[in-house]
Order: sequence, then structure tokens, then C-alpha cells
Amino acid sequence: MTNEFLPPGLALQKADERIMTLNVGPQHPGSGHMRIIVQIDGDYIVACDPDPGYVHRGEEKMAEYRNYITNIPHLERPVIHDSCNVLYPYVLGVEDLLGIEVPERAKYVRVICSELNRCIYTMYWLAIYGIFLGHSTMFMWPAGDRELLIDLMEKISGARVTHAHFVPGGVRNDLPPNFEEVCLRQVNYFEKRIREYAAVFYDNPILISRTQDTGVLSREDAIRLGVTGSVLRASGVDYDLRKKEPYDVYEELDVHSNVMKEGDSYARSKIPWLDMLESCNIIKQALEKMPKSGSVRVKLKPNPKGKGLNSVYKRVESGRGSLGCHIVSDGKVEPYRLKLSVGSFRNLIALPYLLKGEKLGNMPSVYWSLNYWPVEADR
Amino acid sequence: MTNTATGIIRALNSGIKHIATKRFTLRYPEEKLKFVGDGYQFDPSTGVGIAGLKGRHMLFHDHCTGCQLCSIACEGVAEAIAMVKVPDQQKQNKKSIMPQIDYGKCVFCGLCVDACPFYALYMTNDYELSSFTKEGLIYTPAQLQVKPYVAQDSEIIITKWGATHG
Repeated sequence: MTNEFLPPGLALQKADERIMTLNVGPQHPGSGHMRIIVQIDGDYIVACDPDPGYVHRGEEKMAEYRNYITNIPHLERPVIHDSCNVLYPYVLGVEDLLGIEVPERAKYVRVICSELNRCIYTMYWLAIYGIFLGHSTMFMWPAGDRELLIDLMEKISGARVTHAHFVPGGVRNDLPPNFEEVCLRQVNYFEKRIREYAAVFYDNPILISRTQDTGVLSREDAIRLGVTGSVLRASGVDYDLRKKEPYDVYEELDVHSNVMKEGDSYARSKIPWLDMLESCNIIKQALEKMPKSGSVRVKLKPNPKGKGLNSVYKRVESGRGSLGCHIVSDGKVEPYRLKLSVGSFRNLIALPYLLKGEKLGNMPSVYWSLNYWPVEADR
Repeated sequence: MTNTATGIIRALNSGIKHIATKRFTLRYPEEKLKFVGDGYQFDPSTGVGIAGLKGRHMLFHDHCTGCQLCSIACEGVAEAIAMVKVPDQQKQNKKSIMPQIDYGKCVFCGLCVDACPFYALYMTNDYELSSFTKEGLIYTPAQLQVKPYVAQDSEIIITKWGATHG
């Protein structure tokens, strides 16, 4: 059997007395299965081949057999911690196809849910980054403080993860009574807590020595490779879809995108933390500007259909970068084709470039700083 | 060097401060979280849901007409709802069929509650559904009729000394 028919990593290679091939994984570091095939020369990585695809669920094909409403619960499965943001482009796209105008209050509720979910995802990501670096406090603190926001999402939607809260035409239910007060109190405390992280993690010389100057992605390379989200902003490119292509009510809110110039693992790990502080700011603004009463959902017909052959592409800024959804409708109750274009997969492309010449011990810190979620990349 | 030393001292200091703060952990079987309202409900006249936890369902036999809309809503989501014959005759339920829910399959999305136009189905705060057998997870209409008793008292309390469940 020749090499071309064998899966990567199993292919026979010429014996080399210096280069050794290592299979890191398939393992499940709290996120989904992934494998990285690295070739090392002593302690240094010569080549690296990330191998996604272990958690492929066929979400896009499944969506072709379900109608626009029953697609909602399974489309948020790729990232259960960020389920509102995963559903956001789909919901915006379906609204565009059906020609629905969403009530003003529903848009604000969506922004609040989306920002809460971004924080919940980022805290989980940060907790796992702590495990990757062997920093057990960095695992315990974010995993605990995340509970404050999960509690808020539970009050809004009734579920801790996979909320199924966004629907075409608004949101499923209105906010519970005196939610604004509870939300403001818990978000303020959450903000105070994550400010404390600076002393323990980001100014900590131990974490800095593990992450600084490892896996440097220059501004030019970041644009050339097409990375998105926090990885792009850590390399000095000011690109945030909430600012550049505002959807829903983001244009009425004051959104500030955080940019760092270094492009190393430290910058990539710090940008999500700065984004969380920004999210807290956006939530407070949205709570202030939100209409105090009003409808949150437009009534739809039982089985909504798109008008004729039509296609729409919408994208939002998720916790992992730009997340796009392309829906093609042919006038039936099911979409003809649904394509998710996710930030995780785009960020993974940068990994072989970043790891070349690094030490093997730096691999976890570079890999997880890319804000990559295996399940989302595989769909 | 001094920078490294101060950094480590700051990190340690921040950790030492947490000896005085209260513990945030919820001691689960003894303490249970307090949820909003009675559970997730849907008001078909306004078309909007009422916030609450999406736990086990509750079925009102005197409202259910056996229209199967909940079962149709579950198609393509979890296929957890099956319509079964019930012995008791209801005036509004000519076919005498009512939903039976398999909690081994249910994903607790609540689309069946949104689908019911007769206020017959809503979701309660009961989330402790574990069973030793697969059959134990299948709830018949008679079991769904029972309103669960859920003791919930703990809330997140934020004080100057940190957040705690109390």
C-alpha cells in the first residue's frame, strides 16, 4: 500500500535518525477530540500537521432534512457554551429570508444573551488554558466565576447550556421580572472578579515566561492566513464585526475592540480577557438603553417557507471570531443548503506556521491560545 | 529580577486575600438553587413564553385534546414524544391519546411547550430524573400529571466579602 491511501500519521516515512513523528492525541481536553501530528528534532518541532475531524456530526447535512424551527436545537450543539452566538447568524439569515422585522426589545435581549454567552465561553476556554499550562488556580477560578453568568442565562432561558433561546422573529420568552437589577449586580461582581485575574495570571511572571514570544504571528501572516477574532486582533489588526458590520443594535452601542501588537501566545490569551471586560460594558449599556416593555417575538406561521430560490449570508462575531451562515432556500420548509463558516477552523490553519521551530513543551500554550474549538471546526 | 519578584508576590498576595472570602461552592444535594417561577410556560395568545427552568414536563389531562402537535414539534429534534392511549375518558379528548415522554431522548429544548395551543403542557423545575433502568426514564401521561415537589432555597448572594450560595 502506498502512502497516499493511508490516513495521515499512519503513512510510512523514510527512516531518519534525527526526526521522530509524535502523535499527540486523539484526546479530549475538555472540548472535543483532536490530534496533532508533530515531527520533532530533539526538543524542537520541525513540522506539524493538525488533524481535525474526530467529532464530525454532519450538522450541515442534518439541517437539510429539518425545517427552519427544528434546526434550532441541533445547530447550537457545535459549541454548547456559546450556543446563542452559534445560532445568531442562522436566525438573522432566516429572518432575512422570511422578511421579518424583529421588535426593538428582542434585539436588546439578543445582544445581552450573546454577550453573556461570549463571557461564558471565554471563561471555559480560559479554564482549559489553565489546565494546558498546568496552572490549577487558572482552572478553578474561571470555572467558578462562570457560574454567575450561567445563573443569569438560566434565569433568562431556563437552561444552563444549549439555551435554544433565539428564534426567527425574536427570542423565545421575555426577561423574568426584575432581571435588570439581578443582572447588573452579578455582572458588576463578575467584572470585579475578572479584574483580579490580572494580578494572578496576566502579570504573573510564570505565565508570562510560558507564553511570551512563543508562536509569534505577524500582522502580514495573520492577514494572509485568514485568521479571525481574538487571534487576528492579537496580531494588530483592528477587525471586530460588532464594529465593522454591526448587526441588530450593536451600532447604537459603544463597542471598543481590543488590539495588541505582539501576536504571541500571551497577546492571544489576553485579548479574550479584555473582550470579557468589554462585554460587561456592552451588557450594562444594553440594560440601560433597552425599552422597558414591549413585544419580544413576532408570531410566525407554523411551517415558515422561504420565498422561491434565494440565498443569504450573515455573519456575527462569536467567541472564536467571525461566524458565518450561508442559507440557500428553494421555497420549501427545509433549507436547500446550509453552510457554517466557523472561526475555529480558520484559526487552526495558523498552527503549523506557529509551531515550526518551537519547543515541544510550548505546543499546548500555542495550540489553545488559537481559540480553537474542535467540535465547531468539525461541525 | 525585581519585576519577577514583585509579580510573584502580587500573585501570592491575591491568593492569600481569598482565605478571608466566603466559599462560592453550592453543596448540591443539601442545597438546591432557586429558579425563576414555576417552570417554562408558553402563552399561545401572545405567542411569547414565560421564563422558567426547562425541566421535566407537566401535563394537564383536562386540557389535552390529543391533537399531537407536541409530537410533531419533537420530530426532527429528539423524537422523544409518543402518543399513547389513556384509559380515562376526557370530554375534549375524543381519541383518548396523550403524550408519553422518553427522557432518555429529550433534549429539553421546550419546542413542544411552544407548540401546544391549549395550555396543556409546561415544563417544571424538576431536573432530578435519573433512573436505574431505561424504562424508568419513560414517563407515561399518568406520571406526567403529578406536580413535582422541588425544594429550592439557595440563591447567589453578593456581599463585600465575595459571592456565596445561601
